[in-house]
Order: sequence, then structure tokens, then C-alpha cells
Amino acid sequence: MKLLIVEDQPKTGHYLRQGLAEAGFNTELVADGTSGQHMALSGDYDLLILDVMLPGRDGWQILQAVRSAGLEMPVLFLTARDAVEDRVHGLELGADDYLVKPFAFSELLARVRSLLRRGGSTPQETSLQLADLRLDLIRRRVERDGQRIDLTAKEFSLLELLLRRQGEVLPKSLIASQVWDMNFDSDTNIIEVAIRRLRLKVDDSFPNKLIHTVRGMGYVLEERFS
Amino acid sequence: MIKRMSLASRLALLFAGCTAVVSLLAGVLFNHASEAHFIELDQQLLDSKLATLRSTLQGADTPALFARKEPQLREELNRQPDLALRISDADHRWFDAAPGVTLPQTPGLHSLQNAGTDYRVYNAPLVPGKDNSPQLTLMLDITHHQHFLQRMQHLIWLTVGLSALATALLGAWAARSGLRPLRRMSEVAGSVSAHSLTQRLPQQQMPLELAELAQAFNAMLGRLDDAFQRLSAFSADIAHELRTPLSNLLTHTQVILTQPRPLEDYREALHSNLEELQWMAQLVNDMLYLAKADHGLLVPKRETLVLADEVDALLEFFAPLAEDVQVSLLREGSAATAGDRSMLRRAISNLLDNALRFTPPGGEVNVRIIEGAQGVRLSVENTGEGIPQALLPRLFDRFYRADPARHEGSSEHAGLGLAITQSIVRAHGGRIFCESGAGWARFVIDLPQGY
Repeated sequence: MKLLIVEDQPKTGHYLRQGLAEAGFNTELVADGTSGQHMALSGDYDLLILDVMLPGRDGWQILQAVRSAGLEMPVLFLTARDAVEDRVHGLELGADDYLVKPFAFSELLARVRSLLRRGGSTPQETSLQLADLRLDLIRRRVERDGQRIDLTAKEFSLLELLLRRQGEVLPKSLIASQVWDMNFDSDTNIIEVAIRRLRLKVDDSFPNKLIHTVRGMGYVLEERFS
Repeated sequence: MIKRMSLASRLALLFAGCTAVVSLLAGVLFNHASEAHFIELDQQLLDSKLATLRSTLQGADTPALFARKEPQLREELNRQPDLALRISDADHRWFDAAPGVTLPQTPGLHSLQNAGTDYRVYNAPLVPGKDNSPQLTLMLDITHHQHFLQRMQHLIWLTVGLSALATALLGAWAARSGLRPLRRMSEVAGSVSAHSLTQRLPQQQMPLELAELAQAFNAMLGRLDDAFQRLSAFSADIAHELRTPLSNLLTHTQVILTQPRPLEDYREALHSNLEELQWMAQLVNDMLYLAKADHGLLVPKRETLVLADEVDALLEFFAPLAEDVQVSLLREGSAATAGDRSMLRRAISNLLDNALRFTPPGGEVNVRIIEGAQGVRLSVENTGEGIPQALLPRLFDRFYRADPARHEGSSEHAGLGLAITQSIVRAHGGRIFCESGAGWARFVIDLPQGY
């Protein structure tokens, strides 16, 4: 997966590139709008991450140029401005997502992965699995090590999300949005509690823990061998 | 130029103009009346002179007879130096004391000016009622009357000018003192600064016309004062709220860097820093949200919402937390309204979060939705200690925490939740308030139907 970041703040750009590279993406970074547009049009990128305010051409102009050249790759905007009109403007021009600074890197990563997934066709799975944890999507049943685990509907959705995106750190906001359809900043510790309760059922009686907390970033489902 | 003129000069000029018009009118009327009066006097005088002349010239209705009477006539005329006479019939003049002057021929009284002298000319037949009677033309010198009238006219102009000037001056003075309350108002307005927002105009002493303005002005000052107090408290609070996590970050980072440590320690430090930073980012985002609301930039979408569905979704979201603290969540009633789904969810979620925080284990949180004629009422009530009456008005203040034990930096909560809820409700044209009694507290959102 090849990503282009156009970001004029050196520190932000550097950390974005490092973070995305470490997450397994092939990432290029440019710091001004003019060369950003040139590269976006000539290179073969799977996703663009554009800052709105850029020297040379701004993010919107790049987006317009990209879309009028017939390129359909997803575009994610980063901006320090949070005016509704900005958001609407960006989305009207064909942006796929919009993140307002300050944002959490885990949030950005989760969105980048969502956007990249959107393009590809996901096969209709009937079950999801990690290690000895198995989730049957048709019968809506969960088993671990052959033992049946009873989950509430929301716990099932939560586990499904974690399983579908296993290995990814999912921020609380993404979990709240995907599982409960709560699309607002919330400073409650509901997700914490929900994860704790899920853990109680899924992990506690098994030596091999699958649900992990990444402090300050979110939660991840993965097998860790220590 | 006129537009920029001061109110006082404008009023003074208007007064002067009015006085000038009035005195001019009075002068013209007086002048006219005097002139009419003089004409009447002259008429009487001429009538009596005519009678005298007629009696003097009695029977002298032919030139020959007239010639006999002429000396007597001259003698008579000599006695009256201001009177001249012409006697003529259809063909020629019998007698003429003012030759060369063209006189009006029609009978009756006329005014005439000749060589700088004014005359009143009176035509009458010598013998009244006789067709071909010779015509008597009496000329009365009225120069002294005209002089008097002229003098009077001068006097009138002078009066007009002087009275206009006097009223202009007096008017300026009157206007200035009449406008003193306005000047006071502007002095107060001028002295208003961040430090003196407490100053007020004395409404009782204001004239009736200005009382309303003074009241509006005072109310404006009140609002400014209030907003300013809140703003400065807000800035102080922000600094205070940010200081704790910042100082944690600084100290922690510096301590970690003072000596080499195992890798795990660095990781732990970064995680800890991350938590502080996230808390700060959340705080900044919340403050930006409130700032947007303050600037009227929080524009809710208008989606048709069934409140019961929204509340149920929220209760499902809060269910794990509620079970955790052993509080039951209940919902009664439903209503449809129009509003922004995610904004209203956020508003209600803050209320639920708040309610759960203060409900003791075994208690309950009850959401009631009532559809009224005016709009929709949604209340979130929880059992528990209740909130002291004195605290109720301050609950929606930014950074206000009813529970002082929950102190700044205590991870998740910055004390902006209720302020945000209030902003959202207001952006929807509604209002929010809190009531409490022994063993319960209730937050009530009223949303207007029209929204």
C-alpha cells in the first residue's frame, strides 16, 4: 500500500510518516502543495493524506486536480480548522474523510485502514477466528477452546469488530462509533467498562490473553507470545 | 455638514428659526394693521376736509362761480399746508395746486408717491349725486405716516434678528443643559473598560425619554460584565486545568531523562505522557466546541428524530457502565422532534454520564420524554443525595464541578460536559435547567416544537 502525505509542518509530517511506515505502509512525504499535487498526479498512490493549509497549492486545490484527472483513490484531510463549512466543502469536493487536529494517531491509523479497506471487496465471511477464539457470524455464537461463551448483542458486535480488525489498535472513539453508533467526542469511560466486561467473558478464564489495552491509544485483539 | 452638527447647535438653530418666523409674522401683521389704521385715519381726515371744501365751494359749480370763490378757497387751503387740491370737470382743470402730477381718476381713496413725497389721493364730486359735477381731488401729504411705518419696519427686522439671536443663545444653553443626561451617559460609556464594568447609569434620575435607553444601556453593561466575568474565569480555569497535566508532563519527562533506564521505564513514561496529552487534547477540543457555540457557529442539522429511539440507543451504550455501578437505567414516553442526532446524543449522553456519576449503587436513572403543546421535554432524573439549591445556578458553568473531591487532572472529566450540553440545547433553541430535592436531582431539557 502506497501512501502520500502532503503536510508542511515538518514535525507532524515526520511523525505521520514514521507511524504509517511502522504500520506497514509505504509512505512518501512532501511539504508543499505544488510538488504534492505533482506527485499525487504522477505517482500511483492508494491513499492521499492532505493538510488543508499548504504553501503553494492548498489541499482542496490538490483534491480538485486529482479528481478532475479521474483519480479515484481515497483522500483524507487533516486540518487545524474545524468549521462546519470547511468540512462540508472538503467532502463536496470529493474528500473521503476529515480529521481535525489535534487527533490521536491511532484514530488516523484506524481511518486510513477503513478507507483502504473500503475500496477492496471484503469476502463475505461466515466466521472469524483468532487462535482458539472463534466467532460464528451466522449463528451468532462465540466459542473459545471449544467452550461456548454467552455474549450480549453489543458484546458480540464489539468482539466482531476486534476480530475483523485484529492486530489494529482501535481507539475508543472508533469503537463507540462502530459498535454503538455514537459519533461524538465522549469523555466517559464506557468503552473501558465494556472492554473489561468482554474480557471477563472472553479472556479471564484462559491463560492466553487476546484482548490488550494499548495505554492512551485504544484496544487491540491479537495473540501475544511472551 | 448639517448631519455632523451637534444636537445642541441643531436645537439652538431650530429655536432661532422658529422665533424668527413667529416674530416676523407678528411684525408683518402689526405693520399691516398700522397701515390699515393710517388709511382709516386719513379717510376720516379727508372726509372732514371734503365736507369743509364742499361747504366753502357751495354753489360754485361752474367755472365763473368758482372764480368768485377761489380766494376763499386759497385762504382755506393755506390754513392746511399738508393738503393740495385739484378741481376739474370733464374738459379742463379749474384749479390745480399740484400741476404736473398724474393723479388717478377713479373715485375713492388712493395712495401715491411723487418726488419723494407720499400722498393719499381722494377723488369725490363737488356736488354729491350730480352727474356732471366737477371733480374734487384732494391730496393729503402722508410722508410722516410713511416715515413712521418705515421706522417700524426697521424695528420689526431688528426685533426678528435680535430675538432669533437671543433664542439661539438661550436655546443653545437650554439644549446643553437638557442634554446633560446624554452627556452623562456618554461619560459612563467612555469610562467603561474591563476594570469598570460595574458602573451603572442612575436610571431614576434620567428623564423619561432616556430612561429606556439608560435601562438598555445598563442591561448591556450587565451582560458584558457577566460575559466578561465568565470569560476571565474561563481563561483562568483553562490555565489552571492545563497547568496540572503540563507540570506532570514536564516533571515526568525530566525525571525520566536524568539517568539511563531500562527500556520498559521509557515506554511506561511515554504511555503516561500520552494519557496526559490525550486528556489535554480532549480538553482543547471541548473548549473549541464551546467557543464555536459562543460564536453561533454550532449549527444543528434538522433531522427528524424519535427521541425514544435515541434515548434507548444511549441507554444501551451506557448499559455496561450502569451495570458496573449497579444503577438501573429507565426510559418513559416518547416524542418526535427535529434536531441534530449526534449533537443531541452528545447532550443527553453528558446528562446520563453525570447522573451515573452521582447515583449511589442500587439507585436508578430515569429518562422521561413528554410531548407538550409548546415542545418536547426530556428529563434525566437520578436518585441520590440531590444537589444543594445554592449550587443549581452554577452547574452549567464551565469547569464547574459539584463534587470538589473530583479535582483537576483526575483523568476523564474536565467539568465541561454540562456546559457543552447547555450549548447544544441552546443551539437547538431550547433551554436546560436543573432541579433537585431530597433524594433526587433532575436535569430538564425543553426543546421548542418549531425547531
